[in-house]
Amino acid sequence: MQDETSAADILTGDVVRLEDVLSRESVTSVSMSFFDLFRLPVRVISHEGDLLADVHRDQPLCSYLNTLADGARKCAATVATVRDLEPTADTIVHLCFTGAVYRVVPLVYQGRPIGRFIVGPYVPSEANGPPPSLSTIDGAVDRETARGHYDCMPRVREEVAEQLCAHLKGVIELLVFSGHRAQLASTMHVASVRENYRELAEKNEALKESYDDLKQLDKLKSTFLATVSHELRTPLTSIIGYTEMLESGAAGALNEGQTEFLRTIRGKADELLGLISSLLDLGRLEAENLELECEAVDSRALLSAVGSTIVPAANRRNVTLEIEVAEGTPKIWGDPIRLRQILLNLADNAVKFTGEGGTVSLSATEGELTAGGPSGLGTALFATTRRAVVLEVRDTGIGVEDGKLARIFDAFYQVDGGTTRTHGGAGLGLSIVKQLVEGHEGIIEVTSEVGRGTLFTVTLPAAENDA
Amino acid sequence: MKLVYYGPALSGKTSNLRAIHWLATSRTCGELMTLETQNDRTLFFDMLPISMHSRAGLKIRLKLFTVPGQVMHDATRRLVLQATDGVAFIADSQRSEADANRESFFNLKKNLEENGIDPERIPIVIQFNKRDLENIRTDQDLISVAKQSRETIYKAIATRGYGVMQTLAGLIRETWVRLEDEHGLEEKFGISPLQFMSEIEDQLKHDARRAGR
Repeated sequence: MQDETSAADILTGDVVRLEDVLSRESVTSVSMSFFDLFRLPVRVISHEGDLLADVHRDQPLCSYLNTLADGARKCAATVATVRDLEPTADTIVHLCFTGAVYRVVPLVYQGRPIGRFIVGPYVPSEANGPPPSLSTIDGAVDRETARGHYDCMPRVREEVAEQLCAHLKGVIELLVFSGHRAQLASTMHVASVRENYRELAEKNEALKESYDDLKQLDKLKSTFLATVSHELRTPLTSIIGYTEMLESGAAGALNEGQTEFLRTIRGKADELLGLISSLLDLGRLEAENLELECEAVDSRALLSAVGSTIVPAANRRNVTLEIEVAEGTPKIWGDPIRLRQILLNLADNAVKFTGEGGTVSLSATEGELTAGGPSGLGTALFATTRRAVVLEVRDTGIGVEDGKLARIFDAFYQVDGGTTRTHGGAGLGLSIVKQLVEGHEGIIEVTSEVGRGTLFTVTLPAAENDA
Repeated sequence: MKLVYYGPALSGKTSNLRAIHWLATSRTCGELMTLETQNDRTLFFDMLPISMHSRAGLKIRLKLFTVPGQVMHDATRRLVLQATDGVAFIADSQRSEADANRESFFNLKKNLEENGIDPERIPIVIQFNKRDLENIRTDQDLISVAKQSRETIYKAIATRGYGVMQTLAGLIRETWVRLEDEHGLEEKFGISPLQFMSEIEDQLKHDARRAGR
């Protein structure tokens, strides 16, 4: 929480301590180059009184005077006075008893004092030798020595000194400006990132909530589906039962017309029952409580059974049916009823979508099944390969467009409305097939070419210890 | 006193600050700090510090901020808006920008609320900028909306400095009155809003005259 307000604090607050926006190194480096150029000592002090840079060379005069008791006392007093000078608007020029000069220049940023720098001691070029005050300190001072040292002091004209100080002030204040700007920019940057993160986190939370809601809805849909289908089936069973009883003459003899009508009722009722069973299957599959009773299933027997079931339909549409089981195809490990359902669905579809004179072929060969992601990262490490049976259902029908191929396993999906009308069905078949195949730990793939036909490949685990 | 220049992208918020910086005397106005991207668009904000002295010795420090106008910088706008005392909304006078203006104003309202500032109470002035362009809302139109508007309306050509100081003075006046209401500044500092504004306006007027030239 504290962090979050920091951007606002910085934006509304001020600079700011000098040392917050300028490193000691940079201040020292500027002072150093100033000293190198003009031989003028520089000290930079923050508003809080911290010495940030101190570039000077001990002056022989000062060193000499410091060896004298009175000199040392006066020197210390001068230094202390200069150090404590705090100019607010204009430079203070302080004169040392030696005749040297200190300039104390205020550093101002955004109208506020942030520190000061001291240039000196130096001797103004205008000066005519040391002042009398130099020789009035206690008797021990040697005039000649003092004079010699005095002449060695850095000299600069006052007018130039003023310009140099203005320049240094400008440079340091500009550095403060840049430093402050960089500081604001980085603070702002961090704050913006945090703010964006907060916003994203909120949105994620909202998304998660709506996702959970949707999941809940989906579950509700499955339950609804299961309940409704179940409830639909009960009266339908009675309808079928009573129809059968009528057909068998349990309520008296029927004429030809009545028998014909009853056959139609019976046929449509069976169709309806099939649809309702599919819905129930889907509901169970989605609830993931499908129970499989697995055993070793012979591929040839399976394909033949499926083939004979769809032969009538194929004949009606003049579609050739081919069945081919390769030598040595192992038995499939699966629930025979469900396997039949898978293949029947695919074969039935194939016949449905194949035109006059086309061919539908069912085949079985031995293959491999890779578990643990067929092409994922690190397949070599995680995947296990097992023996499998590859079942193929190929047709020469209308085919499916590439873009729609990915969705054909979705429940209630129809490639298009037109097809629905021509070919019937609720769009549940393939969805159920896929879930059944996955229930067997197998995989189903589809490739298709519009106008040329479609190929469904179902790979199912083979029964072990079986040839 | 923190004042924020808000408005849609490219409506001239930074131009306003540049004009103020250029018009104001260097003694009152600090350096204009801009944090901009390579292509001259405001990235985080611009900031212009201004300090003024009243005769009573009171020092008034203003900080003018602009927000980045581009839609994607909403988080930054919200941050800049924190703890603001007043808002100058810079609208683009071009008819084609009417939607952008409205959208930005809604965004301002939303971001004020998110910062816990009541949009109904904070001083807001509206400046119709770019009066020198073609296809703009007419003066007549602005006069009639100004009558209904709760916010005071100003006209400006920020790139030439026209109307910029009037907008600023207007915003300062409304903000000061609001702060006076809340904090009783007159009692604390012994300066009445009237007195304060006449002093501020004196200083700004002097600057505005430069724009006339």
